[in-house]
Amino acid sequence: MTAAAPSSTPGSVPAPVPDARPAGAFATAVHLAPLFARRRDGDRLALALPVAAFAVVTALLLVVLGGAQAFFGWDDDLAFTYEAFAIIAVVLLVVPLATVGASAARLAARRRDERLASLRLLGATTGTITVLTVLEAAATALVGAVVGVAGYAVLAPVVGLLRFRGEALGAQMWVPWWWLPLAVLGVGLLAAASAVVGLRAVVVTPLGVRTRQRAGTAHWVRVVIAVGVLLGGMVVMQMLGVLGNLGGVVAIIGALAAIFGGMLLALDALGPWFVRVRARRQARKAQTVPRLLAARMVLEDPKAAWRQVSGVAMTSFVGVFGAVGLALTQTTSTEGMDPDEQWLMQDISTGVLVTVAISFLMVACSVGINQAAGTLDRAAVHVSLDRLGVPRSVMSEASRRAVMSALWMVAGGSALCAAVLIFPLVGMAIFVQPIAIVTALAVFAAGFLAVRGAAALSARLVPGILARPERVL
Amino acid sequence: MPTRDPLVVRRGRCLAAGRVGGMTPLLSARGLTMQYPGGTTPALDAVDLDIAAGESVAVMGASGSGKTTLLHCLAGILRPTAGSVTLGSANGPVRIESLDDAGRSRLRREELGFVFQQGLLLDELTALENVAVARMLAGVPRAQAETEAAQWLHHLGLAGLEQRRLGELSGGQAQRVAIARAQVTGARLIFADEPTGALDSATSVEVLDLLLAATQAGRTLVVVTHDADVARRCARTVVLRDGRVVSDTAAPSQAATAAEVSR
Repeated sequence: MTAAAPSSTPGSVPAPVPDARPAGAFATAVHLAPLFARRRDGDRLALALPVAAFAVVTALLLVVLGGAQAFFGWDDDLAFTYEAFAIIAVVLLVVPLATVGASAARLAARRRDERLASLRLLGATTGTITVLTVLEAAATALVGAVVGVAGYAVLAPVVGLLRFRGEALGAQMWVPWWWLPLAVLGVGLLAAASAVVGLRAVVVTPLGVRTRQRAGTAHWVRVVIAVGVLLGGMVVMQMLGVLGNLGGVVAIIGALAAIFGGMLLALDALGPWFVRVRARRQARKAQTVPRLLAARMVLEDPKAAWRQVSGVAMTSFVGVFGAVGLALTQTTSTEGMDPDEQWLMQDISTGVLVTVAISFLMVACSVGINQAAGTLDRAAVHVSLDRLGVPRSVMSEASRRAVMSALWMVAGGSALCAAVLIFPLVGMAIFVQPIAIVTALAVFAAGFLAVRGAAALSARLVPGILARPERVL
Repeated sequence: MPTRDPLVVRRGRCLAAGRVGGMTPLLSARGLTMQYPGGTTPALDAVDLDIAAGESVAVMGASGSGKTTLLHCLAGILRPTAGSVTLGSANGPVRIESLDDAGRSRLRREELGFVFQQGLLLDELTALENVAVARMLAGVPRAQAETEAAQWLHHLGLAGLEQRRLGELSGGQAQRVAIARAQVTGARLIFADEPTGALDSATSVEVLDLLLAATQAGRTLVVVTHDADVARRCARTVVLRDGRVVSDTAAPSQAATAAEVSR
């Protein structure tokens, strides 16, 4: 049955509208999407951040794929080793990539919370809300991804200057043209999938959008498990030579992948617990308002604080291997070593440093949009603090500290785990080739600065919130 | 509709602007006008108002009458489009509307206290920390700030609840925390926006008792409310309509009490 237009004259009561068969969630969302695409005053930054984040992600993804596919054109004995490490590098970047997608989806939900809540009040189903948000996240990602392709065109020649096997990658950095639409589509799909996951973290009710409360499950048992995995990894590391004799380079790469995978799980189990313990201590000892607020913000959800920067965990871990490898290759006598093997040692270190740098950039994107989403989440708190007379710098410092504190834990903890695994080599590297260690530290420092900058960017949302406090109260 | 009672109108004029009961006002607004961007009518339209030290003033009016806007302009939360707000202080009168954002923030931090409907407390902090933060912002060491905060919480009947988070407190208890926070800094002027709006009748009476007790200690209270019972217990009631003061009445006995306290 179709709804007839009510015929009424001025002053008369419109005739009741006949019942219409309700459209499905998807159809309803598609009908509503164009209305929701309209830009609203004051949300320019909240809209631009996810687009920029997806642009950076796409550009970096294409750069990494470009670099990786360069190795697949080689056909000598060591080609497989290069290909294996290239795949590991791509896999390492998937975690921060997915984190960025989920963060962007969460921000998309927060940006439009009032309108989503209004729709729920009008009777829109959770399905309609989900489809609407996923469509927006995908559209945002597609726009960002297209911009990212342009970014790749700018970055590829620069990254092409990197030398592997003594030669610049150059034109090998360019991926086949048909990879570009695939990458754009892939990023769009990833954003859509992440949006579904991200929406699970918020509750859209007729009264507003709230972050879903999760019980903090950081428990000391995690420490026991993680220490066990760490000890197991140390044992396997000692057996690498035996494994090499038994199964060759494939067995060694497999063992390393198992160690890295185990460490990733161990770090993920251990991280939130350590973050909570440290934040508790900081909350107890805090002497200033920003320190107290930062510690309490982390304690609200240690797992979320960890997850925001966890993309750095594995790359920091691998970064230590890379730095030590770089130091040792520069001190090891190359006499009697095959020239290709000499290049391999050098190239692994280069690859690791590039991967660390890229993962930091992705984490910076993730932090930027996570902080933006967090700032919108905490809009009422910002208004409250402003009314109390709290300077805006105090609010910004508290947010920045909350991120950087977790980042130090992630990067420092991961690097420490790696150092424990290859303890004697780390000590040797520091003494015999400090320049290599300094190079690695410089990459880490640059990464920290990038994340700090991204965290500070979200502070620019605060004036908009304070200008319209009635929106959040 | 403006109040037709000539006595009330005469008293209203006397109270709304000029010397309050023969005293120099603590807070004085002149020609206060607020026009929101895109708005067709002013939220406040040339409001004149004087508030004496130690007074309790209820601001009433229908939704959209401008009462919350008035409170925000008086407290330096909003900068009015026109007019002035002057706060008497130990260092001489301060023109609030002429202060920059940082200056108004400092003023709110050091001179004013706030109690709102939701309390506007910080979820992640404990009751004690919520109160202590106000002192820590003034540079007071945390230990001392928490000692002072604990004293206020005890005074307001929250002994034993210091380490509870907001989610573990009832609405009335949370409002007590907000009242403690508003007073711990020594603020002379407390602004309350619907402080009992989310509370049951019995708890509303308790919370109002605590706010009025602050005026007995020489503080000044400006409370925005829809609740006639709340207004009845204040020394003076200002009624707004369409951004203008249409009535300003005093309860004689309480006005006298306020004057005695501030003398």
